[in-house]
Amino acid sequence: MSPAIDISDLHKTYPGAWAPALDGLSLQVRRNQIMGLLGPNGAGKTTCINILCGLVKPDKGKVLVLGKDVQKEIQDVRRLTGVVPQQIALFGNMTAWENFRYIGRLYGLSETQINTRGGRLLERLGLMPHADKRIGRYSGGMKRRANIIASLLHDPELIILDEPTAGVDVQSRALIHDFLTECHQKGKTILYTSHHLDEAEQLCDEVVIVDEGKFIVSGAPKQLIEATARITPCSKLEDVFLHYTGHSVRD
Amino acid sequence: MKKLIATIIKEWILLRRDAAGLMLLFLMPAILIVVMALVQDAPFRDYQEIRFDLLLVDEDQGSLAKEIKAGLKQSKTFRVIEEIDGKPLTDSSLKTLLRKGDYHVGIVIPKGATAEVANSANIIANNISKKLGLGGTMPARESRGDRYVRMYFDPVSKPTFRTSISFALDRYVTYSCSNILVQRISKLSKLAGDTTEADADFKKVFAGIGIREEVLNERYADKTHINSVQHNVPSWAIFGMFFIVIPIAGHMIREREDGSAVRIELIPNAFRLVALGRILFYTILCTLQFWLMVAIGLWILPLMGLPALFLGTHAAALIPVSIAIAFAATSFGYFAGAVFRTTNQAMPFGAISIVVLSAMGGLWVPVELLPPVMQKVAVISPLHWSLEAVHHIILRNANIGSVAPHILFLLCFGLVLWTISAYTNISRKKGI
Repeated sequence: MSPAIDISDLHKTYPGAWAPALDGLSLQVRRNQIMGLLGPNGAGKTTCINILCGLVKPDKGKVLVLGKDVQKEIQDVRRLTGVVPQQIALFGNMTAWENFRYIGRLYGLSETQINTRGGRLLERLGLMPHADKRIGRYSGGMKRRANIIASLLHDPELIILDEPTAGVDVQSRALIHDFLTECHQKGKTILYTSHHLDEAEQLCDEVVIVDEGKFIVSGAPKQLIEATARITPCSKLEDVFLHYTGHSVRD
Repeated sequence: MKKLIATIIKEWILLRRDAAGLMLLFLMPAILIVVMALVQDAPFRDYQEIRFDLLLVDEDQGSLAKEIKAGLKQSKTFRVIEEIDGKPLTDSSLKTLLRKGDYHVGIVIPKGATAEVANSANIIANNISKKLGLGGTMPARESRGDRYVRMYFDPVSKPTFRTSISFALDRYVTYSCSNILVQRISKLSKLAGDTTEADADFKKVFAGIGIREEVLNERYADKTHINSVQHNVPSWAIFGMFFIVIPIAGHMIREREDGSAVRIELIPNAFRLVALGRILFYTILCTLQFWLMVAIGLWILPLMGLPALFLGTHAAALIPVSIAIAFAATSFGYFAGAVFRTTNQAMPFGAISIVVLSAMGGLWVPVELLPPVMQKVAVISPLHWSLEAVHHIILRNANIGSVAPHILFLLCFGLVLWTISAYTNISRKKGI
């Protein structure tokens, strides 16, 4: 079976940029894996996700998602993928249900499918009592959870999350963790970016560290910690990260 | 189809929760129509329809003054005032009243005016008598030419108002002078023994060639002329329709800023359908807006003493016209939403461009009154084509064939903006 994501020799330089966003990045995500895509600011994580969901065209390289070429079969890729953007990509003046009904209809779901899946997800992520409130009136954590629901209504095989727990409280973060673990247990593949390395350490089967648009290192968090500890004092994933990407501030 | 309907429902939900946007679309043009129709009612009326107070000082007390006063009093245009509080007006009291701004026009018929006219008539009659050998003569002295019927105006009076008063007076003076002249000639011919010509035939002489207005459109001739309602209802309805640029552009930019536009991008085959649904929704909304304003013209304005809006003899032609205007207006909004990055850029552009295009297009002042250069420039304004199409139908009783070029222009205008917007969307940097 083909990998869920197969990226080879990906290059991208934005017009006017002084350095490439991606400089020959290659990586694979196996099916039914939770992969953490880690890197400092400007490492190329978001560009990589943008290329995966067809929002940005690469200058060079090949990307296959669930066996489909992103550049040739983007609509199929989008049908199979659920992308959770870092921004709350919902209509703030509409209630959660109104958002989900609209998004579900755009995915071509029936009323029954929308009600069943939407209801289940709302219940699971603790938003059912607030389903008829406008998104604009939600707290930060509620917005994040609603954002996840909107991306999963069409029951995608691959879930891509860009910092899904940024700015949320501990309770919401725990809820999102549990939910993603459940999704994984149900056979979903998850690619996930975060600056919370403790979170990635707990959640991911494997992490890949990228920097300056290049692949740096990958492996199971535990293995990476052990391997790095042989070179330098290292007890957690954050130490691995700093070892490979350095201590200098990135802008 | 389900995606289109879903988008229309979503746009409706968003719009009905945007109170300011709704007010901008429906309340603003409604208020503009009512206020402007009422304010411009008087200026749009012919002078025959409005009676002006005209101060008159008769220092002459002769037949010329009588003729002028009779003419002015017969006319529906003037209400002649010769005394205030029981006191006859004088040259100086007339000037004082005008200076105060209580009245706008006054005339003074000078002492000896009739005698001067009679003297001139005698001179002419004597000349004719001499040339025709009638034999009789009238007493005459050399013409002095120093008597004038004096007109005074309030300084705020418009030049057109002054000219029309001057023309009216000139007509009565000419009539009176001719009357006296014919009387003199008649008198001379009687002196010469001719009894066939009667003074009563005098009017027939002047009826030899007359002026009469004929109507272009026999049906509803009394209704198909420009007035405050016929001008202001379509003008401000179109103005309001184009103001759709503000909510459309605002929603589009907000959706890009809050990320919901990216959400649509990530849904397979949704982006074009959502764009189409948006255009469809706002086109329907703008069309409803137009007909609501028409309804105000038909049923609300008459309650305020204004004439009812007349839709012409081919009112059904307004349906495709209103849809074409709505499409052009919506596309303009879509264009602004696509081209501008922030609401701070799009909102002033939207508001100012509509004001400029409406002024250029003759919505404020009819195009015929604009300078020649501006008349040529007007054709680039979609609001001009919109107003022209509506005026063709409601004033010239035009049918759908006559306004087909206007509809075509508006549709092409919309399509060109759509193409630019689509190109801008494709080339815009996107990302999550």
